[in-house]
Amino acid sequence: MASVVGASIDQAKLDQPAGSRRAGRPPWLTAYLFILPAFIVMTFITYWPILFQFWMSFTDYGLRNLRLDAPAPNLVGFQNFIDLITNNMPQIANFNFWGMLGFNLFWTASNVVFHVSVGILIAVLLNSKGLWFRGFYRAIFILPIVIPTLVVATVWKNMFDADYGAINQGLAAVGGLFGITPDHFHIRWIDQIDPPISWLPLPLSYFALLITNIWLGWPFMTIVATGALQSISKEYYEAASIDGASGVQQFWRITLPLLRPAMIPAAMYGLIVTFNLFNLIYMVSGGGPLRQTEILITTAFRLVNENRLYGVAAAFGIYTMLILLILTILTNRITKATESYV
Amino acid sequence: MKLKAIALLSIALMVAAACGGGTTPSTGGVAAGSIKGNITLWHAYGTGSSEEAALTQLIDKIKKDNPDAKITVLQIPFDQVFNKFQTEAATGGGPDLFTAPNDELGNEVRANLLLALDAKLAGKLGNVAQLGIDGLKVDGKLYGVPMLFKAVALYYNKDKVPTPPKTTDELMTMLKAGKTLVQNENAYHMFGWSTAFGGQLMDGSGKCVADTTGWIDAFTYNLALKTVGGKFETDGGRADTSFRQGQVDMIINGPWVLGDYKKDLGAKLGVAPIPAGPKGKAGPLTGVDGWYINQSAKNVDGAIALALALTDAAGQKVYADVAGDVPVRTDVTVTDPLVKSFSDASATGFARPQTAEFGNYWGPFGDAVTKIMEGKADAKTGITEACAAMNKANKK
Repeated sequence: MASVVGASIDQAKLDQPAGSRRAGRPPWLTAYLFILPAFIVMTFITYWPILFQFWMSFTDYGLRNLRLDAPAPNLVGFQNFIDLITNNMPQIANFNFWGMLGFNLFWTASNVVFHVSVGILIAVLLNSKGLWFRGFYRAIFILPIVIPTLVVATVWKNMFDADYGAINQGLAAVGGLFGITPDHFHIRWIDQIDPPISWLPLPLSYFALLITNIWLGWPFMTIVATGALQSISKEYYEAASIDGASGVQQFWRITLPLLRPAMIPAAMYGLIVTFNLFNLIYMVSGGGPLRQTEILITTAFRLVNENRLYGVAAAFGIYTMLILLILTILTNRITKATESYV
Repeated sequence: MKLKAIALLSIALMVAAACGGGTTPSTGGVAAGSIKGNITLWHAYGTGSSEEAALTQLIDKIKKDNPDAKITVLQIPFDQVFNKFQTEAATGGGPDLFTAPNDELGNEVRANLLLALDAKLAGKLGNVAQLGIDGLKVDGKLYGVPMLFKAVALYYNKDKVPTPPKTTDELMTMLKAGKTLVQNENAYHMFGWSTAFGGQLMDGSGKCVADTTGWIDAFTYNLALKTVGGKFETDGGRADTSFRQGQVDMIINGPWVLGDYKKDLGAKLGVAPIPAGPKGKAGPLTGVDGWYINQSAKNVDGAIALALALTDAAGQKVYADVAGDVPVRTDVTVTDPLVKSFSDASATGFARPQTAEFGNYWGPFGDAVTKIMEGKADAKTGITEACAAMNKANKK
């Protein structure tokens, strides 16, 4: 980073018109003066809070230390970090750091797989020749993006209601056609603790969340894929047709590889957003039942908002940051998404 | 002539006093015009709720009687009110006063966020029940102006349940006969059953002893209720709706919904204490709603005067009549039999502890309630685990 800044400063020196140079002020100083206002603002709103959080994570900071004139908290060394990874958090029932991390990663991966695949599929369908009302479809398919997540979460939560929800009523209506009584469709989407698939340790609320988030997430991927599809030259398809390639072959050999440069950064963005998808989980399942759908970010919120364990929450935040950093570096290395910027 | 003048003056003073003047109490306890300056008030009543209506009615009158006061009222969602107050008050912000149950009182006092009011309120709480005053005390000091008692009781639909059950056995018999009851499945609403079965949460040192007392029996009983049709809801709104729409006959809930239930059920609504068990009366957690003065309040005197005006006899009468809340004052006559029932329930309740140890009840026992009622643990295992977790958190 230092060499990049140095190179920029040298370049600025070369680019500077001779007449604008003032006697006695080195050119590098001008560059730093330009950076200074942003640096001062960032110091207060970003760097200082990060440093403060880092310090907090080594203390037993709690509500009693919150006032500006309050006594300083006790230094506890790495105790908060150790307590978190050894699940020594009796204040929070069913706290399981590794289980939660595993669920968080699975939740993220499973969602993004659906988002990308459904997004591409619908984009390809919308791009097919002779489709009527294409513009209309594209307009309504963007609705999930523009509706606030809070509204989406509330509506879906109501739809998953065991007694009055549209999902169960819809299933009962369909079941009725086959002579199945409505009692069979009293599905407790949010509250049922036992996993619906015995060998898969995921509660039903995970599937409810997955359905909701697929609905919420595919339109963004469709928009990205649609833009990329339109930039693929038709000549590739014409050449492939002449060579006798089928539609499926054209999709796998032409469409998908050429979508890759656009879809991978979108998928990376989706990974980070889904990993930290607070609103949906907090509003629909509340992390339940028995914290089985809790993710890192909702737990961080509870540590602060419900338990007032500020020191522990600070350590938890550092873990979350490290996990996201590793995730980002890994995906970046695999996908080479930022290759052109280096 | 002199005597005549004195007599005339006396009559004039009596007439003036009778007609009301500058020194007449505005709502029964605070002189009109005595509330001055800018005062910011927070509450967490639901939008459109009867409690909000009661507060609005009182504030409007106080504003009229105190033209020198500029009162700003801000509603905060209940699940955010404590956290928001604590973070803002700690940095010198927040309201001058706010009202809430005494759920977080101990923590806020230990964090030095609330003003001790013993000196300021000396001689002004003569008509307040001692339970109300004690509820707002931490380590012997008073940290709020007491206003209301809050404890859950049994609501019933008189059309379907003409006589409410007095004992747990009667309730069981009713459910077996087809009557329906919905309960909020959480560690607050279900607390009261423990006392009915002889349960004790903590001993004198703050150590959890629920695993050695009647708590296990209480949950075994509730599981038995479930097997005969008792409903348990994790979503309070759903539980409310099912009772308000007449789909269930009974529900255990607090006085804060009384006004709303009345709108739907009218004369059909009845309230009774939670049925007594084999070891005595049910003991729901009795909380005290108070007005708390921010340690960083910019207008302490104005805030205290406003709190006193809101909690005087007239103010508490408004809360009782409009919202169905139970006043802490002994000089307020409760005419509504439903409010009276809540008053009785509060009197036999378990005063909410303000100790740090009790703060670690909610997580472990909330979890235990879910596990037990959803069949993931038997009552003994669930309570034993919760008690162990509470003791571990409290280092007991």
